[in-house]
Amino acid sequence: MTAPVLDALLPDLTAWLPAQRWFAAKDRTIAAVRFVGHQEVTPADAIPAVEHAVIAVSFTDGGSEETFQLLLGTRPRIPGDLEHAVIGQVGDRTVYDGLADGEISRLLLSMIVSDTAVGSLRFVPEPGIEAPVVGPGRPLLGEQSNSSVIYGERAIMKLFRRATPGLNPDLELHRALGRERSQEVAPLLGAIEGVLPGDDGALPMTVAMLQSYAANSADGWSMALTSVRDLLAEGDLRPDEVGGDFAGEASRLGKTVASVHIELARGLGTDRLGPDGVAAVADWMRDRLDRAAEAVEVVAAQRTEIARVLDGVREVEGLFVQRVHGDLHLGQTLRTPRGWLAIDFEGEPSRPLHDRIRPDSPLRDVAAMLRSFDYAAFHQLAEWETGAEAPAYLQRRAQEWADRNRSAFCDGYAEIAGSDPRDQLAVLRAYELDKAVYEVLYETRNRPNWLAIPLRSMARLVGDTAGSEGS
Amino acid sequence: MNDPTPGTPTSTTVVEPGHEVVQPSADDFRSARQLPVEEGWYKRAVFYEVLVRAFADSDRDGFGDLRGLTDKLDYLAWLGVDCLWLPPFYDSPLRDGGYDIRDYRKVLPEFGTVEDFVEFLDQAHARGIRVITDLVMNHTSDQHVWFQESRRDPEGPFGDFYVWSDDGSEYSDARIIFVDTETSNWTWDSVRGQFFWHRFFSHQPDLNFDNPAVCEAMIDALRFWLDLGIDGFRLDAVPYLFEREGTNGENLPETHQFLKRCRKVVDDEYPGRILLAEANQWPADVVEYYGDPETGGDECHMAFHFPLMPRIFMAVRRESRFPISEILAQTPEIPRNAQWGIFLRNHDELTLEMVTDDERDYMYAEYAKDPRMKANIGIRRRLAPLLDNDRNQLELFTALLLSLPGSPVIYYGDEIGMGDNIWLGDRDGVRSPMQWTPDRNAGFSSCDPGRLNLPIVMDPVYGYQAVNVEAQSNSSASLLHWNRRMMEIRRQHPAFGLGDFHELGGSNSSVLSYIRQTVDAEGHRDVVLCVNNMSRFPQPVELDLIAWKDWTLTELTGGVPFPAIGELSYLLTLPGHGFYWFSIQPAQER
Repeated sequence: MTAPVLDALLPDLTAWLPAQRWFAAKDRTIAAVRFVGHQEVTPADAIPAVEHAVIAVSFTDGGSEETFQLLLGTRPRIPGDLEHAVIGQVGDRTVYDGLADGEISRLLLSMIVSDTAVGSLRFVPEPGIEAPVVGPGRPLLGEQSNSSVIYGERAIMKLFRRATPGLNPDLELHRALGRERSQEVAPLLGAIEGVLPGDDGALPMTVAMLQSYAANSADGWSMALTSVRDLLAEGDLRPDEVGGDFAGEASRLGKTVASVHIELARGLGTDRLGPDGVAAVADWMRDRLDRAAEAVEVVAAQRTEIARVLDGVREVEGLFVQRVHGDLHLGQTLRTPRGWLAIDFEGEPSRPLHDRIRPDSPLRDVAAMLRSFDYAAFHQLAEWETGAEAPAYLQRRAQEWADRNRSAFCDGYAEIAGSDPRDQLAVLRAYELDKAVYEVLYETRNRPNWLAIPLRSMARLVGDTAGSEGS
Repeated sequence: MNDPTPGTPTSTTVVEPGHEVVQPSADDFRSARQLPVEEGWYKRAVFYEVLVRAFADSDRDGFGDLRGLTDKLDYLAWLGVDCLWLPPFYDSPLRDGGYDIRDYRKVLPEFGTVEDFVEFLDQAHARGIRVITDLVMNHTSDQHVWFQESRRDPEGPFGDFYVWSDDGSEYSDARIIFVDTETSNWTWDSVRGQFFWHRFFSHQPDLNFDNPAVCEAMIDALRFWLDLGIDGFRLDAVPYLFEREGTNGENLPETHQFLKRCRKVVDDEYPGRILLAEANQWPADVVEYYGDPETGGDECHMAFHFPLMPRIFMAVRRESRFPISEILAQTPEIPRNAQWGIFLRNHDELTLEMVTDDERDYMYAEYAKDPRMKANIGIRRRLAPLLDNDRNQLELFTALLLSLPGSPVIYYGDEIGMGDNIWLGDRDGVRSPMQWTPDRNAGFSSCDPGRLNLPIVMDPVYGYQAVNVEAQSNSSASLLHWNRRMMEIRRQHPAFGLGDFHELGGSNSSVLSYIRQTVDAEGHRDVVLCVNNMSRFPQPVELDLIAWKDWTLTELTGGVPFPAIGELSYLLTLPGHGFYWFSIQPAQER
């Protein structure tokens, strides 16, 4: 489609965007949408025709623009099962979200498998992989920030919805882990790469990545909740006595995360931060604390004590850093019949790319998992009855569950890594508290019912600096 | 009665002038009527393990016997089982529940005679029920005449029938299986002045299969019972037949060679009969016992899947499908004509050899709260007490047994939820008499109660007055009737026995869902969907059934149609420990 043709779609697109789950700015009012780049994947008169487009969205609040990727399909006549994906009408063609169309997903897969380039788009298979059988894909429902298509339980293609310049860390780290023959991630099969036109010229951009599909898997978050539910229904039994004990899984998860760290270190190198580097990490934590303290009174009230724990990082003589997952939690893990996998190596999507790819201590991931066990332990109690405090004995049980599984996770991690994360308690605690402070801010704004979970952890982490790690 | 096939001649071995070892021929007896040869019958069959000693006593001696069992065939036919598996009924000193055979061609006198067995077999066949029995090939009792001759005369015809050694230092890499009772695999025999080899108890010397005469003698023992009409054998302790230095003595190539030879005898001389291997090994090793996949399988027709069973228990306790998913994912494809045998409980303990140490500790903690519940590396309990007599769990476990890939084996008494007696020694706790009625001796025997071979279970929950066939027959809501209905439903859908297995996964880790699917020669497709909730809490599950878009689901126990499969995930909700069986059919077929 030519630029004027595309522009004719803008009013419909503006109406369509806020209803998309991946549209990350639902609380802002769109001022304008414009196309910043587009590339035909097929001739415009093909049926269906496919076009890749990047849009920039500006908002009435005058804040920063957001850029997103679209894969547009067009057809002269739309079949009934694609009606839900229609965006609008342009000339004699209906335009719709291309990923909903099995014929389009089939085309994209075949282009990756056969190593194709069209204009600025490159469809690249990973070297040495066994190519998946080409067939139509089926959109995965219920996703948050990206859009995926599943090919017959064999492969999954993820379209990154945010258009950001540079190699997406998800693709970058999966490539590195693939070279290390990692058993802890779903193998990378290929990618679609493009360019993002910008003020400084065109920059490379990751459009989509294709991975093996982890069939018959379940995510760690829901499995942990199952275990907690089993415990809390019991009441008079301890976490190691109930049938649903999760410690075995937690320990295996620890091993998985440690293996990922070893592979990332082997593939992409490690570094040892000197005093300046360590100070930068500590300053960065301090910044996050200051921002949270401005917004949340309870953080402001304990600012000094929190800062003291965060400064634990400053005391270390050099900090080993490497590429890490960056946004690890139980929901980023998948239990398959062969063991655990880590997924989604994008890092915290709200942070800028240069932040996300900066080497960091692997303890950041460990601390994030420890936080996640706390969340899993207290999630059900937080959802219990809004307002009412759950009975003290249940809170005790939940704490015991958290302690047991945090400890099992660290044990498993230590077994593979060769060193126990709890040996660097001051650093681990600082990372954990940094995360908890961020969570307090986040929950205050978004999920006040859950606020009690990070508050409790924050109090614990600030409170017993002298004591042992709660696990 | 049909003519016996050429068969086994009477075997007479002169061990010294005037002293002969005589073994009878099948021709000395009449043989049972035969069922028509039906290819692959064992793939669709429900097996029922019945202990002759514990089922029914016809002669008031306190021991169950073959005539008693014959009297109960109508019950078994009503229940709907297709094949009975009888643990050994051969003459034996009974130091290992009859697995210590004293004479391969004689019936234990307490059980009756060879004639009684033929009558039983004939009556079973008259009701369409097949019968297989255990054959212990690896070893005999130390009272077997072969061993007596072997120890008495090393140079005689039986001198080389067993594995003898001067210093007992050989084969040190072979593990000791019965760690509770044995300290070595070699035991000194003062008569011959040598050590003999035994993988199990020291009163069970291992036969020497490197001696061709032993192979012949064993194949003739098979022929003897096949001539009488038996439908097959469960080959006990089959991985251990040969010994080789520097190996663990399990699954050796020579063992497979010998089994191929046995299979050829069965195929050539007795088509339609089966061999079932008892090899308590990982599935990847057990598949070797099916033989060459190119031929569709040329060793055993069936083999037990041992690791599946403890994992069913573990999955339900963990409220997670993964213990089962893992083991099924590690289970290799099997040859075309092969079939797994699966079970929840049998006459042995719940074996935990096939789980990791961590998992074993966990299983002990969960299922063997009293140390007396443990035996060797396992747990000696019956199904109902293992599950705290929880009807929902009993039904869930049975639904899994009847729908997972393989032919199910039901242990006698579990169909009515019988209990156990952990105070009886060894594994006798799960071998107490069948509970038929609330009358004296539970209707098992009319002998003086003090004469009973093993006491009847009498506790208030599982005792014979609460749990018995008569009472449950009269109540249509009983576990017995429920089991019977489920077996009936299973029979109507060939997919359960013959179908492919495809696990569906799904977002909820507490729900195990799978598709069983088969296409018959006429192209008729049978598709069954099984959904099982491992959790005690109600659960939702979203299933990806897109491959059957627009097809409809019919629930199998009631025939209720469920909504057709659409574009989206198929949402089901299950009660705690609930399960569903559905038939999936193209819309127009309904």
